[in-house]
Amino acid sequence: MPLPPMITIIDDDESVRLATESLVRSLGYGTTSFASAEAFLHSAQRGHTACVITDVQMPGMSGVELQAQLKAAGDTTPLIFITAFPEERIRRQVDAAGAFGFLAKPFDGNAMVACIDRALEAASAAR
Amino acid sequence: MPGHEAGAERAGGLAAPTLRMGWMAAVAVLCGLVFAVDTVLPFDMAIAVLYLVVVVFASSVFERRGLLMVGGICLGMTGLSFLISHIHDYDLSSVMRAVVSLAAIAVTTLLCLRNQAATRALRDQARLLDLSHDAIFVRGPTDIVTYWNRGAERLYGWSRAEAIGRPAGALIRSQLPAGAEAEFRETGLWEGELTHIAKDGRKITTFSRLSQHRDAPGEPSGTLETDHDITERRLTEEKLHEARAELAHVTRLSTMGELTASITHEVSQPLAAVVTNGEAGLRWLRREQPDLAEAVVSLERMIANARRAGDVVARLRALARREEPEHVPLDAAALVEDCLLLLDRELSTHRIRLDIDLPRTALTVSGDRVQLQQVLINLMINAVQAMDGLPPERRILRIALARRAGASDSATPPLLALLVEDGGPGVGPDALASLFTAFYSTKKDGIGIGLSISRSIVEAHGGHITATAAPSGGLRFTVTLPLVKETVS
Repeated sequence: MPLPPMITIIDDDESVRLATESLVRSLGYGTTSFASAEAFLHSAQRGHTACVITDVQMPGMSGVELQAQLKAAGDTTPLIFITAFPEERIRRQVDAAGAFGFLAKPFDGNAMVACIDRALEAASAAR
Repeated sequence: MPGHEAGAERAGGLAAPTLRMGWMAAVAVLCGLVFAVDTVLPFDMAIAVLYLVVVVFASSVFERRGLLMVGGICLGMTGLSFLISHIHDYDLSSVMRAVVSLAAIAVTTLLCLRNQAATRALRDQARLLDLSHDAIFVRGPTDIVTYWNRGAERLYGWSRAEAIGRPAGALIRSQLPAGAEAEFRETGLWEGELTHIAKDGRKITTFSRLSQHRDAPGEPSGTLETDHDITERRLTEEKLHEARAELAHVTRLSTMGELTASITHEVSQPLAAVVTNGEAGLRWLRREQPDLAEAVVSLERMIANARRAGDVVARLRALARREEPEHVPLDAAALVEDCLLLLDRELSTHRIRLDIDLPRTALTVSGDRVQLQQVLINLMINAVQAMDGLPPERRILRIALARRAGASDSATPPLLALLVEDGGPGVGPDALASLFTAFYSTKKDGIGIGLSISRSIVEAHGGHITATAAPSGGLRFTVTLPLVKETVS
């Protein structure tokens, strides 16, 4: 049996982070999580994760900045954004940069499942 | 004072000239009668002593000069009578009789003069009491009014004639504060605020002094009460108090407005977690092999997160509410923590590090939770804003609580000292002095009302708030509040 795909979750709010992890694990995936984008970038997980679910507004580096930084480094890991302040401007910005989802908190479980499916398909197609 | 003189005349009942002529005639007739008896009837006794009746009578109807004249006339007539009846056959006993009469008349005249002077002094004093704007009255041991000045007539609407002889309690229904009665009975003195009801039903607030009068054996014989009307002042103060509370409420709302984004986040984050935990829980249960342990964890997290959201909402509701401030014992550290909960997001978005120094022992102050939170939140937001644009290592918000001994005498209670200090650029000495002035602001778009409100709140709690330069160069606010005596549990 192959190892389940690893999904990374970044959110500064612990309660949301834990809940999202639990949801993703219930779908049968493995998870790792970080409280900040910086922590993820400096971790061994970078480049070895199938998909990243990240909060947009965080103290320090934002989700949007993370996307820009990964893209600049040629990292094509698919990104799914979650946010408590869904702004159309940011949605357009991250979509244009190739995001696989932009979900308002509290997000719908099925919508998240759909985003993850698309992201993982794209990731496996790219490989 | 001409008016005063006129009053004196009137009070003596001597104003009408006809009346005075009548009294003079009566005195003259009395004098004549005594003279006739003394001169004509050959009694071997001091008939002239009867002149005393004339003098005493005159003293009740004439003022000083009239009385002196009557006394002189009586002395003269006694002498004249002696000359007429004894000019040829005076002996020792008749001379002695005449001398005794003369002495008696002279002494009586002098006594009457002194009595008149004393009465006049008393009357003047009573008139002075009438000049007072304060209500002054005396009531006997059974509460019956025995004296009632003009001020009391004006203030309470009862005339002197109506008031005297009636119980004061029925007239003005005075309300004594708890404990006043006992204190008055014990010390015979009391002063403080009283409320009364005037004749027309108006409620009157007075600053009053009560003093007990005792007779020779020490039994209470009456109470002198002086009431200074402060109804207007009280009303003004109440209005001022209301206006201040209203202003505090409005600034609180505007502070909350500034914090909307942070507060929304504080509520929406746990709510989002509740929903996601619910989704996760359902999925754990709906797996081919339900994972009950994971589902239980999801449910527990749902509850914890919903509680967290509820707490924030409850605190917000308390802050937004417009209520009369109420004083309850409050733990200072809990107060600080409550504020930090609401400001958590604000601090993290501004990348502020907290340096908190809370003591281990509980420090309890008495106060209104919402108002004191308002002061703290205001100070913390100011500190956060002061550090905008600084390098991250200087963005430190320092909060410290400490117990401080009161002044040297043991009567003053120990104090709570609460420090809120920022690492910002600070302000100049001139600005430092004006910080608490209303409508003064160092912020670009500040109204300058927050600190002024904060100060009035702190002072209403019996405390002080000061601003000084912190060693780091930033601004340090120190709030001191009296500590509540710890109750031994």
